[in-house]
Amino acid sequence: MKPLVTFENVTLGYGRTVIQRDLSFSIEQGDYFGLVGPNGAGKTTIVRAILGVLKPLGGAIRFQAVNGGAPVVGYVPQRDSVNLILPYTVGEVAMMGRYRNLGLLRRPGPQDREAVSRALEHVGMTGAREYPLKELSGGQRQRVLIARALVVKPDLLILDEPTNGMDLSSKSAILDLIAHLHEEDRITIVMVSHLLDDVANTVRRIAIVDRDVLLVGTTGEVLTPENLSKIYRRDVRVGMLEGSTVILSGRRHGHR
Amino acid sequence: MGIVDAVTTLLAEFPYALYGSVLVGLLCAVLGVYVVARRVVFFGAVLTQVSLVGLSLTFVPPLDVLGHTGGALSLTALVALLLSGLFSNRKVPRDAVLGVVFVSAIALRILILQKAPQVEVAEVENLMRGDILFITPGLFLFTLLLSAAAMAFMLLLARPFAFMGLDPETAEAQGFRARRWEQAFYLLTALVVAAATHLVGDLFVFGFLVIPPVAGLLLAKRVRGIILVAGMLGVLCPIVGLVIAFVMDVPATPAIVALAAAILLVAWLINRVRR
Repeated sequence: MKPLVTFENVTLGYGRTVIQRDLSFSIEQGDYFGLVGPNGAGKTTIVRAILGVLKPLGGAIRFQAVNGGAPVVGYVPQRDSVNLILPYTVGEVAMMGRYRNLGLLRRPGPQDREAVSRALEHVGMTGAREYPLKELSGGQRQRVLIARALVVKPDLLILDEPTNGMDLSSKSAILDLIAHLHEEDRITIVMVSHLLDDVANTVRRIAIVDRDVLLVGTTGEVLTPENLSKIYRRDVRVGMLEGSTVILSGRRHGHR
Repeated sequence: MGIVDAVTTLLAEFPYALYGSVLVGLLCAVLGVYVVARRVVFFGAVLTQVSLVGLSLTFVPPLDVLGHTGGALSLTALVALLLSGLFSNRKVPRDAVLGVVFVSAIALRILILQKAPQVEVAEVENLMRGDILFITPGLFLFTLLLSAAAMAFMLLLARPFAFMGLDPETAEAQGFRARRWEQAFYLLTALVVAAATHLVGDLFVFGFLVIPPVAGLLLAKRVRGIILVAGMLGVLCPIVGLVIAFVMDVPATPAIVALAAAILLVAWLINRVRR
């Protein structure tokens, strides 16, 4: 597989504060890539760099051209970061995904409305088009945010903590939807999460990050008790239960 | 005075009070929907006080060349831009920054006016309160032009404002430059607040930045509906409030704001009954 995004000795940070130094890895076309690590490890910083919102302090981030142009990137933020005071409808929220194409003045045309309809249908939210986003459940909101990212037909879809705070059923449904987007629609997926179990059982390749640490490989290569114990500074056990990877946290290192 | 007499007097002798308060009411109410949605209500209150400092400064030579409106506009715009920069400082909470500016502005205003030469207390009081009944045609025309520009700006930037208000992270990821739109929003609010405070006073401006939008949130189920309800209250409350002030012989601005607050209470009750 060809790399879609390549980090070449990238240093990331804000102002003079370096968060990650000398990152070198790639996300391949068609990849289902997990980005995990403890809170504050710099996962969001890496995502901001891929999105182009944060310029690297050093090194370079290269993108492979898709259909002769830069890859289209869709982004699904953490659900809790959305401000729900104003009751925007599901249709209005999904249409915001087209704003980049529409600019400031052009009114949404049939093509835009069609793209929104298709995206909502894709995530199973067609019937909710006129509902305010704030009145939906967490899982339904997540679907709408995914639909908004899909309206631009992304080559790469980045999801930040898509299952955080969800019950088991909603979580499974969202993970199934993401798997569908990867397998059926051939979208390259980057899933950021601090929930190791979710990532371990869904992604193909994984990067585990902590300050000045980056381990990249298949889940089997990276999610070992040794690696996880070192990064999370506590005993971590990795096992299998009915074909699924289970990660158990033990005693904290240095704890008496 | 009866209602008919009040309306006749109002139209004959104080037409600009009517036009000016309706204009500012509408503008503040519509802008207020975004102010409330972005959780920066206190920002509006702070700007009203800053605009009064700007106005006070124009009593002190050589700043008197700016004119009262010029002084209020320029200082408020400057402080709004500075505040938008300070908001990104994560060490100090946003409301704390606003609190510091709020009390400092009040203290500064008192000190400036105390030391300003040749200041008539009554003149300053009128300017500070922004007496609705004494809106001049010139000031009204200036505010009309500024309002038209502000409305056009709001329509033009409706998409970035909506997107940034709902989900700034994704808007930024889509190429909307968060900081630039944030500054544009604060600058627009500052200019509207400064001009409006000079015209109708801080009580009116802050009241209409908050009360009609909150009533809209309680009564309407869609964003357009909220803007519509807020705008309607922004137009109706000054008209009815002025008539009430004439009939009951009470000050105009408190009557208008109290009426808006009473309508908000009714909106809240309707919302409770609906639930």
